[in-house]
Amino acid sequence: MATVIAVVEDDRDQRENYVDVLTAHGYDVRAYADKPSAEAGFERELPDLALLDIMLGEDMDGGFDLCMELRKLSPTLPVIFLTARNSDADRISSQRMTAWDYITKPVSLEFLVARVHALLRISEQLQHRSPDSSVFSVGNLELDENSMLVHWQGQPVSLTLTEFWIIELLTRNPGHVKSYQALSDVTRQGLVERNTINGYIRRIRNKFRELDSSFDRIQTVHGTGYKWERDRE
Amino acid sequence: MIGLKALRESPKRVDQKKRRVASGIRPGLKIRTKLLLLVVSLLAIPWMGYESVREMERFLLEGQEQALELTTQGISSLLGNRSDLFDPGVGVPEVIGRTSRPLPTEIEQSLSIDATASGWVSAIGELTNFTGFGLFECGPEYQPDSLAVRHGVAIDTEQFFAYFEIDDDIIIFRDPDLVSLNNSDQLRMTVQASSGTVSRYLLTTTEPGRISIYLMKDNWREAISGDAVREVAGVLDLTDRGYVIKLRIPRNLLGVGARLKFEIVDVDDIGSRVVSRVISTEPDPSQLGIGRVRLATPELTKLIQPLYLSEANITIWDRGYRLRAQVGSIFPPAREGFDLASEEFAWSFPNVETAITRFYEWILRSPARGFKDMPVDSSQEDYRLLGRVLTEGEPKSERRRYGDAKLIVTAAPIWAEGSIDGAVLIKQSGNKLLSLQYRTLQRFTLLFLGVFLFLSVAILVFSTRLTYRVGRLQRETEQAATPEGRLLKDQIRPGARSSDELGSLTRSISGLLHNLGQYTRYLEKLPDTLAHELHNPLNVVNSSLENLQYHHRELADDKHLQRARNGVGRLRSIITSLTEAASLKEALSHEQDERFDLTALIDGCVEGYQAVNPKHRIVSTRVAGPMIIEGVPDRLAQMLDKLIDNAVQFGADQGLIVVSLRRNADGIELTVANDGAALPVEIVDRLFDPMVSRARDARKTHLGLGLYIVRLVAEFHNGTVVARNSAGDRGVEVVVSLPQARVPPR
Repeated sequence: MATVIAVVEDDRDQRENYVDVLTAHGYDVRAYADKPSAEAGFERELPDLALLDIMLGEDMDGGFDLCMELRKLSPTLPVIFLTARNSDADRISSQRMTAWDYITKPVSLEFLVARVHALLRISEQLQHRSPDSSVFSVGNLELDENSMLVHWQGQPVSLTLTEFWIIELLTRNPGHVKSYQALSDVTRQGLVERNTINGYIRRIRNKFRELDSSFDRIQTVHGTGYKWERDRE
Repeated sequence: MIGLKALRESPKRVDQKKRRVASGIRPGLKIRTKLLLLVVSLLAIPWMGYESVREMERFLLEGQEQALELTTQGISSLLGNRSDLFDPGVGVPEVIGRTSRPLPTEIEQSLSIDATASGWVSAIGELTNFTGFGLFECGPEYQPDSLAVRHGVAIDTEQFFAYFEIDDDIIIFRDPDLVSLNNSDQLRMTVQASSGTVSRYLLTTTEPGRISIYLMKDNWREAISGDAVREVAGVLDLTDRGYVIKLRIPRNLLGVGARLKFEIVDVDDIGSRVVSRVISTEPDPSQLGIGRVRLATPELTKLIQPLYLSEANITIWDRGYRLRAQVGSIFPPAREGFDLASEEFAWSFPNVETAITRFYEWILRSPARGFKDMPVDSSQEDYRLLGRVLTEGEPKSERRRYGDAKLIVTAAPIWAEGSIDGAVLIKQSGNKLLSLQYRTLQRFTLLFLGVFLFLSVAILVFSTRLTYRVGRLQRETEQAATPEGRLLKDQIRPGARSSDELGSLTRSISGLLHNLGQYTRYLEKLPDTLAHELHNPLNVVNSSLENLQYHHRELADDKHLQRARNGVGRLRSIITSLTEAASLKEALSHEQDERFDLTALIDGCVEGYQAVNPKHRIVSTRVAGPMIIEGVPDRLAQMLDKLIDNAVQFGADQGLIVVSLRRNADGIELTVANDGAALPVEIVDRLFDPMVSRARDARKTHLGLGLYIVRLVAEFHNGTVVARNSAGDRGVEVVVSLPQARVPPR
């Protein structure tokens, strides 16, 4: 049985393009243009993953509403927000609704498919809880690559897929500087400005600091990039 | 420090300053000065007041003159058809100076020259005091303790008695060795017979007791003959306050119609024996020159006595220009006349008092001065007027001026059965009015000074407030926008609630600023809105291109597809930079300051920039040691990114870019200088505004948001940024001034 992906996008051209590319990659795609039809569709059949635009026609926060509906139906359903809105407020809202990823337009379809793959794999991992999960730890940080779970000092840190990838890259060689280019590549979004990377790092730091106000592992290397500071033991 | 030396103000900046000066302050009168000039015009009020007081004076003098005319005519009609009063036979010798008691007391029994003083006083009755009134030869420095005279006369059928009580602190008797007689305390008696012959008797003595009496020459020094006059008997008795003189004169010595005048002469210095004071029984010693016949008619005097007018002299004359009766004097009582000013201003501060008195003396003519100008003898003018009245038979009046003194003179004929018997002449001083006027002017001046002061202060306060409000409005308006025209606030609160025109002007300007602010915000949000709207179609194009490529693998290297992707890439970077500024503005409000070393950041960044831009040489120069500032390092790095992008973009190929960091008095100065073309003059002021760019290269995207971001970050760190051409117009440098961190807390 093919994996079902729900696409909710009010712009017909974009919707069709998503459908085309996901269908071409073998997914069963349900496309909806607005909130009522999407809700009806979710009632009928729960998708394995949802791609949501936040603004649906006149409904400014339609995507958020749908996300909440889906959370009621399934707490672990991967949700990707795909939006033209790039404000911190929107990102925080999406985080609060435990969306798995937040991608701003224009999105590269190639990377979109990659993300969908990754999230589906992680979702599967979470559902089956395979014991061979590859957990590795750096100091107080625990990172499960398969289930995308991150713990700092034993507490879970809620990260998006992109943020997870960045942490993964930074902690792979603690103390080594990761250049902007490397960080940009790992976000899998195509062309990424330094400032966008700075934004991701800032949000990651904030999430860690919510758990530990003295968090200072991620160090800025001005003009170059960032590094994960080793624990001083 | 390459390229940083010899910085000079570009001509543009100088122009800008000039322009600001021209629009702000111009030479000329300010509102306050204008209003104060207006106050000065209030000075017309005292002029007007002075004029009206003068007018009032004229009016009052006229009224006084009319009143005098009426009195004159009243007296003349009272005396009409009373030829008996003007009969030359009824005249009696009159003792001059008895203004209040004109007639001698008539006594039954002759008084003995050796009788006691109290006996004389009881016979004569009330004495006339010559201390307070009628002092005309003592002057204002007169002191009653030193010399005072009480005097009374009596008459019986044979004799004329005169009694003097004299207060004298130092009594100097005659020195028999001296020939001249005018060097001791003495009594002088002047007798003018009805024929006009004047006899002068000097009464003096070497010791208390009988007095020697000499007939004197008119210089009062030498006697006509060495023999004493025997007919007149006098006795001087000492008292505890001075001495008493009793005098007995046979009536036949005086004759009918004679005039009699006594003068008490006081000598106080035994050494020099100079006459220090003279008190005369003549109230107006020089009014009637000795030698003029005075035929007093007691009945006439009795008739006019009740008609006494203050400061007026009423005289009745007969056809032969002989004075038949008179009452009153044109001079005010001495003390009152001389002490007028000081009584008016008897304040507790002598200095203030004299200053104010002088001030008034200077502005207004004091009536006290007028008295000094008053002639003591105006008989020439009186005779002229009398002559006209007696010949023409018409009442006449005239006003005379003697310097500051004013005299109103009216005369009317006295008719008796078709012929003129005589004339009434009244002279009254106008100076009483003048002193009234003087007091009015004083009050008016005080009032005016008060009003003037009050108005001046009120207008000063008002104009100061007005100037302050206008100034505040100007300040607020100027502060609402930067000199470059960037809006800092979109309303003016102070003074906007006022209901007057200035308040409504403030509201207008505030409204204008508000609209401008909304428009500015709209413009600032425009890139973000635009970017958001562009994202969706861009996503359509992008995803369509990717689908096209996915489904048609053979097109992967198609040049048109490639160009389309390039175009999408450019569009994307445009949109990113459009949103960057807007999102930065919002993001900055959430940032938290930290303390860090700016030099480390700059060094790291410059290293990175050199790696990314191999075509340029990027170096940093800085002073040794860390420069700690408080701020957001990421944002400062972002700012530096934009500065370097800008320097690279407009710098010469293979050129040098210098990033220098140094301290100055205000803080830290970060300069990024390149060697590219000079800045165009027309955009230098607006270079840091959004959407302003000097680039004209169509292949690259230049939204002019880079330097706008620089400004936002600099301002977020309480800094400023300016761009200017380097010395010699070789290259451009952008200078960011940031405040240094305060001394770190220990």
